[in-house]
Amino acid sequence: MPMPLPPIYSFPPLYTRQPNSIIRRQQISSWMDLILQYAKSHNAWCMSAEGSIVTEGSESVQESIFVNNEIERSVPQVFINEIWSTMCQEGKAIGTDKGKKESPTYYILWRTVDSWASLILQWFESAGKLQQVVTIYELSQGDESIGWEFHGMPEPLTADCLKPLCHRHRATIVNDEYGKPVAVKVV
Amino acid sequence: MGQRPSRVKITKNDRAILQLKRSKDEIHKFAKRTDNLIASERVRLKTMIQEDPKHYKENPKIRFLLKRIHYQNHLLEQAGDQLINLENLVSTLEFKLVELQFVKGLEHGNEILSKLNKEFKGADQLMDNVQSQTSYQNEINDVLARSVVGVDDFEEELDKELDQLEEQFILKKEPQKEPEIQMPSTEGLPDLKSEEQDSAEHASEEIIGERALA
Repeated sequence: MPMPLPPIYSFPPLYTRQPNSIIRRQQISSWMDLILQYAKSHNAWCMSAEGSIVTEGSESVQESIFVNNEIERSVPQVFINEIWSTMCQEGKAIGTDKGKKESPTYYILWRTVDSWASLILQWFESAGKLQQVVTIYELSQGDESIGWEFHGMPEPLTADCLKPLCHRHRATIVNDEYGKPVAVKVV
Repeated sequence: MGQRPSRVKITKNDRAILQLKRSKDEIHKFAKRTDNLIASERVRLKTMIQEDPKHYKENPKIRFLLKRIHYQNHLLEQAGDQLINLENLVSTLEFKLVELQFVKGLEHGNEILSKLNKEFKGADQLMDNVQSQTSYQNEINDVLARSVVGVDDFEEELDKELDQLEEQFILKKEPQKEPEIQMPSTEGLPDLKSEEQDSAEHASEEIIGERALA
């Protein structure tokens, strides 16, 4: 069940970009916490730059987190972009369009990439999948990972989360003929 | 510079299994999609029936939709079977790989065993050699023992002298023996004649005891 957002969500000044840089930093970090909590409770991996949840395959017409109808406030897009760029800097979000500064959608990381990596490694160990080639689809969408927090993770994000394991020489990512990561082997 | 484990290697077998798994994923995706499709079509069917509750049985659209659902269901079943087949194939392959390891292990073991056995080739000769060496050793021992025989008389003399000394010592010691403790015995005493006499004697003994106490 989605959890209700904390009371600060109904605090009108949160929706106006604060001119004082120290207060603004505080404001952005509150927004980051809000977004992470919102994404986690909705199990949303991906959000559009406008702040609505994007689910694969289906066009979502959900309301944006940056629009609060109850108090009739919304965050201006310029400030939203600032929030996103700060989140990307702090490793709490990844733009889906790599290389570009502003992308239309963002992956939300309510755990850090390293934390996801170790969780995935745990799955590999407990499911007895070491020394085997496992496709990324199998890992993130397959029936065997149901019940794990990373189940349902978009494949490109899963590939990103596997990179720390590669750096630790615990895993190798196998690319397909187009250079897209498709599988991983963990030892 | 540190201890870096070597990179995880992707073998040809891994690639082959990967191909298989990718097709498995495709089927899995298809199954999921079809599942969703069936669910949404069922919802549509329901609403269509609700819209036209009287003549829905004659409605060709509804018939068509139902047919479609059945067909999709059929496909889904097939996909499920194929998925199971592929999964079985993957596990069979993985097991075969383990078996391959097993055969390789056996081969290695055999090699090492034959190598070790080769080392044992000289064992017969070695054992013969050891036997001859031990018999030689025994001979030497015999010879050495015999050479001591010349002194044997002397040993006997020594024994004799020791015996003499012992006799002397024992003789000397004998008088000092502690005298045997003479315990009172009833031997040689006349048999008790009657109980009265006994009690009388008893009484006198008591008197003596009392006097002693006084």
